[in-house]
Amino acid sequence: MAKFTEEMVRDYADKLLIGLTDEETKMVLDEFEVIDKNIDLINDIPNIEKIEPMTHCLDRCIDHLREDEIEESPSIDDILSNCDDSLTDQVKVPKVVE
Amino acid sequence: MNKTIEELHELLVSGKVTSEELIKESLEKSKEVQDKYNAFVTILDAVKSGNVTDSLLSGIPFGLKDNFSTKGILSTGSSNTLKDYVPFFNATAYENLLKSGAVLVNKTAMDEFGMGGTGTTCHTGSVLNPWDRTRMCAGSSSGSACAVAAGVYPYATGTDTGDSIRKPAAYCGIVGYKPTYGMISRYGVFPFASSMDHLGALTRSVKDAAIVVDAMKGIDDKDMTSWDSKDIHLYDSINGEVKGKKLCYIKEICDIENYPNASDELITHLENFNKTIELCKNIGMDVEEVSIDKTLLNAIASVYVVISCAEATSNMSNLTGLIFGPRGEGKNYIEMMKDYRTKNFSPLIKRRFVIGSYVLQAENKDRYFNNAQRVRRMLVDEWNKLFENYDAVILPVGSGPAKKFDERTDMLKNESVVLEEHLQVGNFGGFPSITIPNGFVSNLPVGVNITGKCYDDINVLNIAYALESNMTYKNQIAKEVSNG
Repeated sequence: MAKFTEEMVRDYADKLLIGLTDEETKMVLDEFEVIDKNIDLINDIPNIEKIEPMTHCLDRCIDHLREDEIEESPSIDDILSNCDDSLTDQVKVPKVVE
Repeated sequence: MNKTIEELHELLVSGKVTSEELIKESLEKSKEVQDKYNAFVTILDAVKSGNVTDSLLSGIPFGLKDNFSTKGILSTGSSNTLKDYVPFFNATAYENLLKSGAVLVNKTAMDEFGMGGTGTTCHTGSVLNPWDRTRMCAGSSSGSACAVAAGVYPYATGTDTGDSIRKPAAYCGIVGYKPTYGMISRYGVFPFASSMDHLGALTRSVKDAAIVVDAMKGIDDKDMTSWDSKDIHLYDSINGEVKGKKLCYIKEICDIENYPNASDELITHLENFNKTIELCKNIGMDVEEVSIDKTLLNAIASVYVVISCAEATSNMSNLTGLIFGPRGEGKNYIEMMKDYRTKNFSPLIKRRFVIGSYVLQAENKDRYFNNAQRVRRMLVDEWNKLFENYDAVILPVGSGPAKKFDERTDMLKNESVVLEEHLQVGNFGGFPSITIPNGFVSNLPVGVNITGKCYDDINVLNIAYALESNMTYKNQIAKEVSNG
């Protein structure tokens, strides 16, 4: 198992589009060390790999589906009301292709 | 505002008080509490009085945690990323409260997006404990707990992914109840970790908690995890009959022998818990000590962090600053998003995102994420086995009263954290779970938690109600204490 390094923390942060200070990077590594030790203990549980991972409370994530009926969509004005920069009925973003 | 919902309703119906008077009092108290404890993101000064009907909540003011979407009202999740966000729709649970005639007077501060347990990561600053301003309220429903304890209104809503209703309730000397997963629709509440997110209520009595959740709950076309609970009437079902009920507590969590370096506060807290166990017996319940493998218990905190960080990383990827939020600066959209996310997320959230991302990488997923989910199942299975023989599990909340602000509690510690973190099992399994105050340590309130099997909310509430009726902490209002 490769160790979680400072370089990796910075790489993941970069992929997540967040910047971390040196102090924050150290805190990630310190916290992760505790998790890693606990995960080592978990890995020692006999036959753990045979247990089905529990992905959801109550073991199901669908209790209720609505009828497939057309509903009124939110208005474009409503949707754009929290956007800082829009043009006509669209969100305005800087040029994507450089 | 220091009365229960039932009492306020009677006063309103008999005409001894008007909704307008209650709202005025609540708004005045909101301002006082804001000045002293910093509990709110928004106070709705212009709110109109509500009609008084047969509904117990009609005309009575309440507070909503700021991660509930409120149409036309600022909803920030206590994050700078959404500091100006005004939704154009209501969360279903809020809509249900409005239908009951309830009157919203403020939005309460919380740990940013619910991802914290201290009340110190709100974009408006830390929420102070109304019993002692040098201490925290815990989180993430910090403002809701503070306001209810301080007597702003009889109830506020909360959300609970780890223990975010039930621990602040204990630290503030009030009741915190999260019902079975899916009883209340999550639609319109900002998601944190969807597989463990619950909604619920913070109140000053068990019956009030039942009244509020009765009003919030219901199947919802907009939440596929919601289920039909129309035949469950929580408030009407509370009768306090607990003779012959069987409870258990877990030795590895409750026995002082597990904590060789226990502080005086922890010793007193566990002694107080033992008194509550004696009280359970005195009112006709059987209580037994049970054992659970310590390796599993010690894994709770890490299992929670791994699963919740992974889900949060994904849930919050839509926060780019482009479609909503204050736009970041930069030459291109990547730089703009990075600038927005770096400047506006708190350090706690940022480092949890990194951990969440790491555990989801293909090469790490089985060791971390899948194994955490496997232990989640093992823990839930252990609790379900207990529920085959017992009506509920009773455990102390935390390791004592509210912590001082200078004690760091948002980092995982290397020593055992099981006392602080065991309530998370209630989120792993979706169990109904309620915290009620059960005494004082260092002149500050402490709590006890009762958790039952899924869909058995009435049983859990009844046990809590019977205990509450035989203690003296019902409907208590915080009084600032001086501990020198």
